Amino acid sequence: MGARRVRPGGELSPRALAAVMNLPSLVTLALVLAYPIYYAAYLSFHKVALAELRRGVFPFVGLDNYRRIFADPLFLLSLKNTFIFTVVSVGAEIVLAVTIALLINERSVPLSRVTRVLILLPYAVPPIANGLIWAFLYNFDFGFLNRILFGAGVITTPIDWVGNPQTALYVLTIPYIWRTLPFAILLVHAALQGINPELYEAASIDGATAWQRLRHVTLPLLRPIIVVILVLRTSFAFTVFEEVLAITQGGPGDATWVAAWYSYRRSFAPPFDIGVGAASAYVLAFAVGALAIAYVKMIYRRIE
Amino acid sequence: MSGMDGSASGATTSGEEGEAMAERRGDGWKLGRREFLIAAAAAATLPPQPAAAASPWAERPGGKVDRVNFVVWTYGDIYTKISKKFVDDWGVTVDSTISSFNDHPTKLMTMYAGGETIDVSQSSPFSFPSFISQGLVEPLDGLPGAADYLADFTQSAKQVAVYDGKLMGLPYFSTVWVWSYYTDLLDKAKFEPFTSYDELLEQLRKAKKDQIVDYPIQWIAGVGLEQLPGTWYQLTWNRGGRFFDKQGNHQLGPGSIARDTLKWWIATFTEGLADPESLKVQFTSGAKAFTAGKNLYRGPNHHYGLNIMNDPSQSPIAGKVKVWGSPGDGKTIGDTHVYFLCTANRDRDWAWKLLQYLGGKTKDGAYTQADTLARDAMLGSGYASVMKSAAVAEGWKPWGEPQKILQIWDKATYVGEVCNSVYQPWHFPWTDRVNIEVQKALTGQITADRCCDTLITAIKEVQKG
Repeated sequence: MGARRVRPGGELSPRALAAVMNLPSLVTLALVLAYPIYYAAYLSFHKVALAELRRGVFPFVGLDNYRRIFADPLFLLSLKNTFIFTVVSVGAEIVLAVTIALLINERSVPLSRVTRVLILLPYAVPPIANGLIWAFLYNFDFGFLNRILFGAGVITTPIDWVGNPQTALYVLTIPYIWRTLPFAILLVHAALQGINPELYEAASIDGATAWQRLRHVTLPLLRPIIVVILVLRTSFAFTVFEEVLAITQGGPGDATWVAAWYSYRRSFAPPFDIGVGAASAYVLAFAVGALAIAYVKMIYRRIE
Repeated sequence: MSGMDGSASGATTSGEEGEAMAERRGDGWKLGRREFLIAAAAAATLPPQPAAAASPWAERPGGKVDRVNFVVWTYGDIYTKISKKFVDDWGVTVDSTISSFNDHPTKLMTMYAGGETIDVSQSSPFSFPSFISQGLVEPLDGLPGAADYLADFTQSAKQVAVYDGKLMGLPYFSTVWVWSYYTDLLDKAKFEPFTSYDELLEQLRKAKKDQIVDYPIQWIAGVGLEQLPGTWYQLTWNRGGRFFDKQGNHQLGPGSIARDTLKWWIATFTEGLADPESLKVQFTSGAKAFTAGKNLYRGPNHHYGLNIMNDPSQSPIAGKVKVWGSPGDGKTIGDTHVYFLCTANRDRDWAWKLLQYLGGKTKDGAYTQADTLARDAMLGSGYASVMKSAAVAEGWKPWGEPQKILQIWDKATYVGEVCNSVYQPWHFPWTDRVNIEVQKALTGQITADRCCDTLITAIKEVQKG
């Protein structure tokens, strides 16, 4: 075996070289990804609070942490809110990303380089800073949003944007979409530039209208990148946290409690029940994983 | 302050003065016969003290450390001076980890769980039992000078810092819940400050109807331990109710005062009298929002909000915000926050030394930090001798009327009497539910009855863990 791996002259075989070259990445990934994932799973089956963490002794409780979260109406509500938040934000992101990318890609639409950069700017804003910015924008008494609308004569009394339990969750999606949309635009725009212009020329010669070119040429060719965006954005939207922390803290009432907020509160607020927090995080991870697999299967089956 | 218990005198006040002050200030937090017996019993359970030095705070600890540290929540720059004084006095570096009030339990917990060294930290009265049950807090009994501190504690400080008969902390500050009003708007509306809840509601309705302001009242009802729950506790207590009795039985059932109070409170929201931002503001942000001059009244909250509302550098309406007592017999609530010696300390004696600088006496025998907090930040003290000193009587004057606040103070009861669950580790998760359900009630999603029924059910759930 050793003789096969090392070629005459001391060179490694391609397979061995590949293994050696990948080893650092694999070790790093194992340390920073696999171990925390394993450890969180381990915690979710044990009683883990402050005293246990300090002692390093975690009593095994089996599925008790999972039983507790599924018996907690707040957890089920958090899951429901997370699902609604994800559907609304990811759906809006896909539509907006495709629309804006098409506009940017259209040579007949004059856009300066500055404008193109500005479109990408929100992606550079740290999530927590984004949350704070929108908290100021949404402020009932002094918020810029109410001031602008009031000044424009659109409203006569200020709107309590995040104070209305019926609308708070939907209002919360806007800062999130604002922050994450540039990423989706970038991907769609890159995919658009990869489409062969001859396809459009051929379609035009065949008499296709602009709408027909979009529907029968552009969108089918964008489908793979849309799958990628769906998978990525869904998994990120499922773990939304910073905007909730900065803008609503789960309120009013439980209107904006989402799964990540639930895990955080269970783990890092007294009585610091980290085992329960880990269990809720695992349920969330499984939900994201199942959705990602479903997306990929569904969309690629259509392509085939 | 009713916390002046008239018991053993502090270092700077004679017993006679203490008794006279207690008598003059009514019997709110004053040490009654029953409380005296409880305190005496608690003191009796303390281990015998070693032959104490005359001024133990001036003695250098025996061990050798190159640094000590504390983990606290932010409040202005109160820690800069006291850290410097510690370094100057003892030549030992002080490291500090300072986070926001709401993030403090999380910060402390992660540091503790991560095996970091923490000499001294602090707690609100609501988190303290949880910290104790989690093993973060080291008892102070037997440490040099601890008994002297305990003798000077106000009743409120004792009720928080003495847990299961053991001294577990030293007081950071004390506060009392007061109402505030904006004089310009009250004059404009031609109102006198209210003397009953019915009169308050009438005034709010009239002010709105006459378009004096859009939202006549701001409540401090953001999510947290001392905002929304604190307001409900205060209103209920003032109306003669409570949340748990001494045996731990809830008092939230049909016809209870807590339930009726919630119904009254909800009306201020459904009638559009309460500023919608009320449900988001914390005690500090609420004080800042009030300075916009858009509300007549500010609901009951910490007295020291005045140091923002009446500070010319922070408030456009400085000098025009007045405190007001509660209706009826004027009963209100108060509490004391504490510093504690963490079990994760590097050297118990040096940690005790640092703890004293934050919550007790400095090398010169003075309550330097408590005095500074009163003069610089309008905070009350958990030490009777400080509350009777010029630090309060004179130090508070730039922002308010000390005597008026002290009169209200005399009618204050520690919040643990109103809501006995604060002594339980499950109080914090139950408060989570209070925040959620009461906000739902105030925003019209559920009725007061349903809210209270849900909270009753939640008690058993959180007790199970």
